[in-house]
Amino acid sequence: MTKIVRLITLRTMLYFSVVPVALAQPIIPGLVSSELDPKLKGLVLIEELNCVACHQSAEPFAARSKKAPRLSAVGSRVNPTYLEAFISDPHETKPGTTMPDVLIQLDKEERKQVAKSLTHFLLSLKKNDFSLQPPDAVAAEHGEHLFRSRGCVACHSPRNEAGTELLQESSVPLGALEKKYSVKSLVDFLRHPHSSRPSGRMPDLRLQGNDAERIAHYLLRDTRVPGPLAYKMYRGQVWEGLESAKVEAERAGQVRDFALASLGRVHHQTAVEYQGWLKIPQQGSYTFYLQMNGGSLHVNGKQLVLENPSNRRGPKRMQASTELPAGWRKIELTYFHTGRDPKFSFELEGPQFKRQAIPSSMLSVSEHPIPAFEPLVVDPALAARGRKHFGILGCAKCHDDLRIPSKSGPAFATLDPGKGCLSEAPGKWPRFNLNGKQRQLIAKALPGVEQERLNERQQLEKALVTFNCIACHDRSGLGGIAPERNANFSGTREALGNQGRLPPPLSHVGAKLKPEWIAEVLLRGKRQREYLDASMPQFGEANVGHLVNLFAKVDKLEAVTIPKIANIKESKSAGYEMMGTTGFSCIACHDFNGQKAGGAGALDIVHVTDRLQKNWFHLYMRNPARFHSTVIMPSYWPGGQSIRPNLLKGDTAQQIEALWTYLLDGPRAKKPKGLSRQSAEIRVTDVAEIARGRGTAGYRGIGVGYPEGINLAFDSEEMALRQLWKGDFASVNHGSFRARGGERISFPPGIPFHRLKSMDDNWPYKGKSNYTFPHDHGYQFRGYHLDALRRPTFLYHYGEVTVEDLFEDVPGKDGKAWFKRTFRFETPGAQKPFYFRAASGKKITAQVDREFVIDQLQLRITSDHKGVVREGDPGEVLIPLTLPKGRSTLTLEYRW
Amino acid sequence: MVGNRYLNALWALTLSTLLPAEDLGEMWGSAKEEAKYYPIVNIPIPPEVPMRTGSFEILPDGRLAVGTRRGDIYFVKGAFDSPPTPDYHLFASGQDEIFGLAWKNGAMTATQFGEVTRISDTDGDGVADRYDTLSNNWGYAEGHEFAFGSKHDPEGNIWVALGLSGSYKSHNLFRGWAVKVTPDGKMIPVCSGLRSPGGVGPNAEGVMFSIESQGPWNGCCSLKHLKQGGFLGHPASYNWYPFVPGMDTPAVEPNTPSRLQVEKKRVKELVPPAVRFPYIKMGRSISGFRLNQTGGKFGPFENQIFLGDYTLSIILRATTEEINGVWQGACYPFREGLASGIMHVEFSPQGQLIAGGFTTNRQWPVRGTEPFALQRIDWTGLMPFEIKEINIAKDGFLINFTKPVDPSIAARTEVYNITTYTHKFSAGYGSPEVDQTTAKVTKAIPSADGLSVNVHLEKIIEGHIHDFDLTTMKSMEGGTLLHTKAYYTVNEIPKN
Repeated sequence: MTKIVRLITLRTMLYFSVVPVALAQPIIPGLVSSELDPKLKGLVLIEELNCVACHQSAEPFAARSKKAPRLSAVGSRVNPTYLEAFISDPHETKPGTTMPDVLIQLDKEERKQVAKSLTHFLLSLKKNDFSLQPPDAVAAEHGEHLFRSRGCVACHSPRNEAGTELLQESSVPLGALEKKYSVKSLVDFLRHPHSSRPSGRMPDLRLQGNDAERIAHYLLRDTRVPGPLAYKMYRGQVWEGLESAKVEAERAGQVRDFALASLGRVHHQTAVEYQGWLKIPQQGSYTFYLQMNGGSLHVNGKQLVLENPSNRRGPKRMQASTELPAGWRKIELTYFHTGRDPKFSFELEGPQFKRQAIPSSMLSVSEHPIPAFEPLVVDPALAARGRKHFGILGCAKCHDDLRIPSKSGPAFATLDPGKGCLSEAPGKWPRFNLNGKQRQLIAKALPGVEQERLNERQQLEKALVTFNCIACHDRSGLGGIAPERNANFSGTREALGNQGRLPPPLSHVGAKLKPEWIAEVLLRGKRQREYLDASMPQFGEANVGHLVNLFAKVDKLEAVTIPKIANIKESKSAGYEMMGTTGFSCIACHDFNGQKAGGAGALDIVHVTDRLQKNWFHLYMRNPARFHSTVIMPSYWPGGQSIRPNLLKGDTAQQIEALWTYLLDGPRAKKPKGLSRQSAEIRVTDVAEIARGRGTAGYRGIGVGYPEGINLAFDSEEMALRQLWKGDFASVNHGSFRARGGERISFPPGIPFHRLKSMDDNWPYKGKSNYTFPHDHGYQFRGYHLDALRRPTFLYHYGEVTVEDLFEDVPGKDGKAWFKRTFRFETPGAQKPFYFRAASGKKITAQVDREFVIDQLQLRITSDHKGVVREGDPGEVLIPLTLPKGRSTLTLEYRW
Repeated sequence: MVGNRYLNALWALTLSTLLPAEDLGEMWGSAKEEAKYYPIVNIPIPPEVPMRTGSFEILPDGRLAVGTRRGDIYFVKGAFDSPPTPDYHLFASGQDEIFGLAWKNGAMTATQFGEVTRISDTDGDGVADRYDTLSNNWGYAEGHEFAFGSKHDPEGNIWVALGLSGSYKSHNLFRGWAVKVTPDGKMIPVCSGLRSPGGVGPNAEGVMFSIESQGPWNGCCSLKHLKQGGFLGHPASYNWYPFVPGMDTPAVEPNTPSRLQVEKKRVKELVPPAVRFPYIKMGRSISGFRLNQTGGKFGPFENQIFLGDYTLSIILRATTEEINGVWQGACYPFREGLASGIMHVEFSPQGQLIAGGFTTNRQWPVRGTEPFALQRIDWTGLMPFEIKEINIAKDGFLINFTKPVDPSIAARTEVYNITTYTHKFSAGYGSPEVDQTTAKVTKAIPSADGLSVNVHLEKIIEGHIHDFDLTTMKSMEGGTLLHTKAYYTVNEIPKN
C-alpha cells in the first residue's frame, strides 16, 4: 500500500470511528465547567497550552505549565501510522487536542513529507517494540464497566454502545485510540502515565489486578488484527447453556486452530465458541468429524451438528457432510469441555483433501484480508531531516525532553492578543484552533499576567480547575460534579445514598481534614471510603504536593470553644455509652474497626480522630446537614439540645468532646455495645476475641485475638499451641475460623508434655488411627476461663498434674507486642520428670540455656527452668520439668 | 460473538426434562387453614445479630436462650410477648456450632461439635466467663461430623448423637454412636448405628430418642429410640465396640438389600426406627424436636413430639407407644409455610412453639427463603379438627380425634383409606416405598363421645408404615379434617 493510500484509508476509518466534530478547539474540561475567575481561566489556558515554552518570560510565572508528552519512547507507545497522521493534522486526527498544528504554513505535499520525516526521527530515538494484539471481548466488557465506575468518565467522555463519545465538548479527548495504541502500550501507559506525561494531568489510577488490561481492551475493542480464528471461552455449569447464570465468560481472542492445546489451559466445565472463515479449496462434498461431549457446528449458514452437552457422560463421536462451494465460508463451532474424560477432535475431509485437522492456513477471522501491522523501518536520512524539523518547527520547545535546540518565539511580555497564534489567521506560527472565547480569555489575562502574584485562594482554585478535581468533588463557589456525569458514579452501599456513591465534597476540606490526612489521600492514595467504586487517583507529588498547605491556609471555619474535661475516664465512658446500641447507636450505620455495621455500612468510625480536625468534628456533630445537604446522618443535638440529657448532664459540647475522647483510642477503643456479629471477619478491640472450631488449629481449635494485635491458635484436642500471628485476627464461617494477619509462627502437631524414653524417642501426636489419643497419654481438656480482658486461661490435666495455661499480650517498647505464657501446675504428689516441648523448627540457636531463637521465633524462659535443644529435622527446644508436690510455675516469653 | 441463540433456545425446550430444577415436593396446601388455629408470628431480629439457630432453651427467668451455628448464645427477653418485643443479649460467644442447650444449676450446658461445655457467668456481669469442658472424648476430625445434644436427663446426663464422618463412614471414635455425658464429665457410649442424626430428646415417658436422616440404611427420615446397647441400623460404627467395656460387637452385620423386619430377627441388637417419616410427604430432613408439655396451652396435642423439617420449612407431630418392648408410633402434618429451614423447636412457658433455623446458600436446598429466622406458632384457642393420635390395637387401630366425629360417617369403613408399604433396608442411599398393599378395613366403631374410632383391619402388616387417608371424614359439626393424613410405623403388633 502506498503511503497516500494508507493515509486516505486511515482518514476514512477515522471518519467512521469518530463522529466529525465542528468544535475542534483544545478542550480543558475544568475551563468549561468551573466558575473560576475569567482572568484565572486565561492563565489556566496559558499554562495548559504551555505558551511560556516558546514565549519566555523574565518573571517566575506559569512555572506549573503542562509539559508536552515525553517522546523518547513514543515509537513503542504509539502506532507510527497514527503518529504521522497526528503530526500532519493534529486537529483532525484528534479533535480537541492541545497540540498545535505546526505545519499549517506548509503546502499539502510538504506537510506530508515533514510529518513523515518527523515520524522517522521519533522512531529512530529508541528501539521500538510496538505491535498489535487482538482485543479480548470479555475483558473489554469488564473494561467498559471499569471505564465508567473507576472514574475515567469524570474527565473523558462517556461512550454509548457504539463507542461514540457523548460529551465531547467538556471531555479530555481520546481520539481513535485503536489507531493509536496497542493493548500492551496502552496498559503500560495506564500503569505509569507520568513517565510519558510528567505533569500529571492524566493521573495514575492505581489500577489493581487486570483492571488496566480490561480498560485497554475496552478502549481498543475496535482494533483489527489478522488471524486464523476468533474464540470466546466460558466457564461454569456450561451444560446448562451459555446463558445460564452459573456460566461466566472467561476470555476471548484469537487462536491459531481448533486444537484445544492452542488455547492454553482449558479447565473442566468450559465451553469455547469458535468463529471464523474456512477456505474451501474446491467445490464438493465435505465431511466434518467431531469428537466431543456436546456442541454445535454451523458451516456456510447451515447447522450441521447439534448435540446437547451433559456433565454426566463422556464424549460422543459424530460426523456431518455438506456441499460447499469454493472460497471463504463462515464456520462457527461451539465446544463443551464437560462430562467424563472430556475430549475434542475436529477433522475435515473433502475432495482431494485427506481427513485431517483444519490447518491455520485455511482459516481466517475475516472473509476479507486484514492488513497486518508492519513496523516502520527507519530511514536514517529521513530521520536526520526530521530531527532538523523538530528544532526548526519548535516541536522541541514543548517536547523538551529530547534536548534539541530550537529558537524561541517573541518574549511573553511583547505578545499582542491580535497576532500570531492568538489570531485567527494562518501563518508561520503554530495553530491551536482556539475558539473566540478562549482567545478572549487569554487576551483578558495577558496584560500584567506575568507580574500578578496570585493569592492562596487563587492558587488553590487554579489548581483544582487545572487538575479537574471538580469533576469528582464539589467545591462551593468553584464547581463540582456535572449533572450529566453524576449518574456515572457508583458505589457498593446503596443504603448510603449519594454519600455511598459520590466522592466527598472539597468545600471547607482544609478546615475539616488534618493536613497529614490530606497528604495521605492526595499523595499516597489512602482511602477510607472503600465502598466508592471510583478511587482517588494520584497526580504526582511534584504537581499537587503544594495543595496540602493551600487547603489549610484557604479554608477557615469559625472556632468552637472546646470544653475542658474534668474527668477523662468519665468522658471516655460517656463516649462509649453514646456509641453503642443503648446510646446513639452510631454503630447501627457506621462500621467499627472493620466490623461491618448491620445496616448502612457508613465510614469506619474508629479512624475519625486520625482524619478529622477536632474543631470540625464539633461543628459537624451539631449539624451534619450544614456540610452535606443530603446527609443521612441525623443530628443528635438538634438545636444544640442533646437527646440524651442523662449523660454528662446533657451538655452538648461535653458529649461531643466525649465521643472524640473515646474515639482517640482508635482501633483500641472499648468495643461498643451491640456491635454487629454478621461479618465473617472478627476484629479485636479492647478485649480479646475467641473463635472455636475447625480451621487453623485442627478441628478442636481455639483462636484467640488479643487487644495488642497479636493472636494465637490453641488446639484443644492436643492441648498445644499451634500458631502465633500478628495483625488481623480471624475470619469465621459457622464453626470454622481461619487466621488472617501475617508473620505466622507454626508449632508442630503433638502434645505439650511427655516423658521421652530416650532422646531418640518420637514426640507423640495424634495420627489418623490412634483414636483415643491423647486421653491415653493422661490428657483431658477441661476448658478455659476468662480474665477481665477476656483472655482465656486454658485448663487441662496431664495425668495427675492440673495445668492452667495463660497467654498474656504484652506491649513491647519497640511497638512490637509479645506473649507472656504462664503455666501453673498443681500436683497431689511429686512427679517423675517429663519434658515440655516449647518450640520446634529448622534452625535453632541457643543464646544461653534460657534463650533460644527458633527460625523467626525468640523464646525466653523467665522462671527457674532451663531448656535443651534436641537435634533433629526439625529440631526441638525441650524444657525438663520436675514438678514438686503442690503448686509450681513455668513462665516463658514468645517474641517474633 | 454470535451463534448460540438458537442452540440455547433449543436447550430451553429440552432442559426441563434434562435437568429438572430441584423439586422439594408439593406443599400440603393447608397453610391458610392452619393459620386460623395456629398463626405464625415473626420474632424480629436486629440486623447486627446472625441468628442461625442451632438450639433453644428456656431460662428460669422466662427468657429464650438461642445457641447459634456461629457459636454464640443469646438470651432473648420479650420473645414471647404479643407482639414480640425481643431484646437480644449476647451471653456467650466464640464457640463451635451449638446444637444443644440445657440450663441447669445456674449454668448453660452447650453441645458443640467438639465437646459438651458447661458455660457460666461467675462474676455476675451477665456475660459468660467460664467454659468448662465436660467431655470432648469422641473423635472429631472430619467434615459433617455433627454433634447434637439433649437437655439433662433425670440423672443430669446430656445425651449426644454423633454423625458419621462425611455422613457415610465412621473414621473417628464413636462416630455414629449416641453417648451420654455425666455431670462429672464421664462419657458413656449408649448405642451404635446412627447415620446423620438431628435433635435428641425424650418422649413423654422420658425415653431418649434421636432424629435420623434418610440415606444409606435409612429408607427415609425417622425417630430412633436410643436404646442402651442397641444397634440403630447403620453398621459403619461397628468398629467402636472394642472401645466400649462390657459391650460386644454384634455377631452379624445386616444383609443388604433386605427389610428391617427380616434383619431384626438376624441382628438381635437392631432397634427399628420408632416412627418413620415417608420421604417428602413428611419432611426431607427432619431436625430438632421437643415434647409438648404445656398443660394444654398449645391446644389438644399434649405430650406429643413436635419437630421441624429443615428442607421443607414445616412443623410435624409424632406420637410414640411401646409395644412388646419396642417403641413405635405415628407422625402427622402440623404446620407449613415457615420462613427458613427449621433446625430446632422449643415451647415457651406461655405455651407457644418457637421455631428457628437457617438456610445455606450452597449446602442444601430449603423451601423457606430467609437466610435465618426466629418464628413463633401461637394457638388461637380455636379447636382444629385433626387426627390427634393413632394407637395400634391387636386387630387394628384406635384413631383419636380432637373433636367428635359424625358417627354416621365415621362408622363407614370406606372412610378409612389405609395403604401400607415399607422401605428397603439397604446400604444404598434411601429407598423407594416398596411392598405396597391396601389394607382392608372390616369394621369402624366410633366411641360414644365421638372422639375416637376403633378401626378393624383384616390384617396389620408388621414392618410396614400404615398410611391413613381420611379425606371424607366429617366432624359432628360437618367440618373436614385440617390434615387428612397420618402415618403409623408398625414394628410390633400387640399380642393381646
